Amino acid sequence: MADYRVVGKGIPRKDSIEKITGQAKYTFDIVLPEMLHAKILRSLHAHAKIANIDTSEAEKLPGVKAVITGKDTWGMRFGFVDTPRYPCEQPVIAEDKVRFIGESVAAVAAVDENTANEALDLIEIEYEPIPAVFDPEEAMKEGAPQIHGEQIPAPGRKCAWQDWGVARVARSYNPVNNIGATVNLSYGDSEKGFAEAEYIREDTWVIPRTNHTAMEPHGAVASYNPLTGYLDVWLSHMGYELKRYWISKTLGIPISKIRVHKTFIGGAFGGKAQVFDHEIIASFLSRKTGKPVKLILPRDEVFTSTNNSIALKINVKKGVKKDGTIVGQHVKLISDMGAYRGSVPVCLFLCHSMRDAIYNIPNLTHDGVGAYTNKSTTMAKRGHGSQQMTTAIESQMDWIAEDLGLDPVEFRLKNLRQKGDVLPNRDTLNSYGLPDCIKKIVEASNWKEKRGKLGPGRGIGLAVSAMFNGSGYWPFTAGSIVRMNHDGTVTLYIGQAEFGQGPTTTTCQLVAEELGLNVEDVNLVDGDSELCPIDYSNWLSGGMFVSCKAGLVAAQDLRQQILKVAAEMLEEDVEDLEAMNRRVYIKTDPEEGVAFDEILRYSIQKHAGDLLMGKGFCKPVPEIEFYPSLSKGSGRWTDAYSFTASIAEVSVDAETGRTKVDHIWIGDDCGREINTAICEGQLQSQAVMGMGDALFEEVMFSEGRTINANFVDYEIPRAFDIPEITTIDASDPDPNGPFGAKEIGECARAAVIGSIVNAVYDATKVKITSLPLHPEKIFRGLKEKAKS
Amino acid sequence: MELAKKLIKVAVNGESRELWIKQNITLLDLLRDYLGLTGAKLACISNSCGACTVIVDDMAVKSCSVLAMQVDGKEVFTVEGLAKGKKLHPLQQAFIEHVAFQCGFCTPGKLMSAKALLDENPNPTEEELRRDMEGNLCRCTGYKKYIEAIMDVAQHPEKYSAKEG
Repeated sequence: MADYRVVGKGIPRKDSIEKITGQAKYTFDIVLPEMLHAKILRSLHAHAKIANIDTSEAEKLPGVKAVITGKDTWGMRFGFVDTPRYPCEQPVIAEDKVRFIGESVAAVAAVDENTANEALDLIEIEYEPIPAVFDPEEAMKEGAPQIHGEQIPAPGRKCAWQDWGVARVARSYNPVNNIGATVNLSYGDSEKGFAEAEYIREDTWVIPRTNHTAMEPHGAVASYNPLTGYLDVWLSHMGYELKRYWISKTLGIPISKIRVHKTFIGGAFGGKAQVFDHEIIASFLSRKTGKPVKLILPRDEVFTSTNNSIALKINVKKGVKKDGTIVGQHVKLISDMGAYRGSVPVCLFLCHSMRDAIYNIPNLTHDGVGAYTNKSTTMAKRGHGSQQMTTAIESQMDWIAEDLGLDPVEFRLKNLRQKGDVLPNRDTLNSYGLPDCIKKIVEASNWKEKRGKLGPGRGIGLAVSAMFNGSGYWPFTAGSIVRMNHDGTVTLYIGQAEFGQGPTTTTCQLVAEELGLNVEDVNLVDGDSELCPIDYSNWLSGGMFVSCKAGLVAAQDLRQQILKVAAEMLEEDVEDLEAMNRRVYIKTDPEEGVAFDEILRYSIQKHAGDLLMGKGFCKPVPEIEFYPSLSKGSGRWTDAYSFTASIAEVSVDAETGRTKVDHIWIGDDCGREINTAICEGQLQSQAVMGMGDALFEEVMFSEGRTINANFVDYEIPRAFDIPEITTIDASDPDPNGPFGAKEIGECARAAVIGSIVNAVYDATKVKITSLPLHPEKIFRGLKEKAKS
Repeated sequence: MELAKKLIKVAVNGESRELWIKQNITLLDLLRDYLGLTGAKLACISNSCGACTVIVDDMAVKSCSVLAMQVDGKEVFTVEGLAKGKKLHPLQQAFIEHVAFQCGFCTPGKLMSAKALLDENPNPTEEELRRDMEGNLCRCTGYKKYIEAIMDVAQHPEKYSAKEG
């Protein structure tokens, strides 16, 4: 392994001081002069026509500065997906009808929060309830209530892709039987595969919605200057370009006049990527009043009105030879989308794509459908689609192995793809550390001595997962500038959204390594849309592989500029020089050299003021001009995949059905760990989050109403719950990654969930096919087992 | 109807203050809106996440669920009072060295819970610590690194006693 000075070290984070002293300013902490406070009135009906809204009493309340309804934002649409095939359909504020409990129906800006809340109570709304539908399969039946009765897109509306230059025009249509998304892709011939198979197994899993529960609730501060026409916003987000594009598109403010300021961001996990109604509403109210407006969602609205993870019913049919060779697979997905599409069209594709890099299945069919229901929208959550599919596929792998008398580890190893494989969509596996991930944790966990041998109520299970590394999505590229300073330090300008995962620190490490500097010599300007270059930031799983890499490319550019001037000063060739500790020296004579500050001075004096500034950019899958075809899954998707294998050891109490996770081993291939402490933190984070997914997290509904929209009824893991966690680096450096690095933040969660599910089965021999593994399900399963 | 304002005396991070306050505000409102101390955060309003934890007379409390009137005559200690000049508190140093936080939103609350615990019980077992920190939710770290950081302060205070930040 190459010897690096800064890369591969677990150094402290760049944002340490701000975060441990309380100085870090999150959106919630922003206070501006004359700032108003806004609140949103939410629908209490799952499906109803709005017959009338009377805001007159609210407007009369002293301290109220503006009241708005769907009449003010009529015709504005937003969404995560807005393509010619799937034009977005969500109104900023409900217009003539509401489609889920928690949808916005009016908003108030007032001098303080109490006044705003009081004003909400004074708004009179006449609803005419209409039949609602909450189950996706019911929703797709003939005669079900039609959630979108009107034309999509709204007449005359251009979709985002048209704005961005795609020639295709969005077709207008009325959704039929609430179907809002489909994916149908195949390769080989799955029927032929099943005909060849000596064993066929079919299982159906149900994966519920969970909530991201970032500790910082969603919110926005918006400040519109009526004299200049500029809008300043502070948001809790995952990337500024997407947010300001949508604020621009809905409100008609030029994108260059919208500045997303740097804020600290209190966690995201996929749940803060898309634009939200409250962000557009805060901006609208600021423009209407000419005053800054703050709108922070209370925790219950985070649950009911932003988005949850994607609920799926997953049917998997698999054909296998007796020796364990997989010959065919047919997956059928049904998604309970919610009232608007959210990211479901993407997820239905990713359910295939995330798994396609793992096993070599010659004959495969993958069909997915998303149905509108009268619930809130659903969105990507940390490994978009991977955790749902991994749970279904990896548990079935164990059941097949059991039926055929195969060792579950050998069965998986036999069917893995290989390094260098070209996937059916032409993505190439230039790196593939998965076999090593499996082997290392099998050894570390003492698997062979434990599997099936731990005794009653104890079990051990394995699962594997994969993660893509950024994808093409016009106009999102990532850019960076690294400039030389007078004292020989540098300043990095990068548009990363730092929501805890550490990309700003790791990019500084990449820059420092490239330029022979210490991390302290890299000053950082990040997360501000006007100070930093265009950057799609951190919501399409390309943080390290794309956005951080742009920083490295800028440093490489600056390095060449520095060496060129130094070569002139030292009268040497560039190849004979090395940069280290703020100076350039001659490799064969290290005493001979010039300092960075002297190089800058010389460059300014002798090169017409050339101030030494490196530029870098990076676009994932450059050959994708606009976007890949997700509904057919036919084109290139990503440049690299990350991999994880997880083993969980559990104890199940037969008296109560309660599972305790004792130990999780994670083997991870992230190409190269740039910051070992941050990488370890990402894996521990996913181990614990995955434990919550596997054992107790579920957003529960009753007639469309979320019944556990708080931290008392919606449990997340607590300090006392956590198991032993062993993380093992099994990285295979990728030739296209910065110093070989790939993504690490999302892959492991899915494998952890799958491994816990499989460990519980090993402990109980009870086949449970829905998450979470509530004690009640296990208890009932054990009872039935005892009976038979 | 507006309630009459009341005068309270409170020492915040060692500094005595007299403040006319609305009677219905919480301690968290007092700190954030009256004193500009925004380290303590609001994340649940239901006394269940710990992001607003501060110390009142040596006890860790969730400031979203305490009325400001209740701290009349008491001493309040927040994350802003942890560092003394250039010297970071041992817990702050350990959190940096162990890379014990990610998004940082709930970090002030954790630091204050940990401080209250260690002030009362300088040598907790890991189990006691985990039990004690059960009220501080975290979605980023998986808890492991900051439990390690706090245990390190408890077991090796000499590592963190003399350093300047």
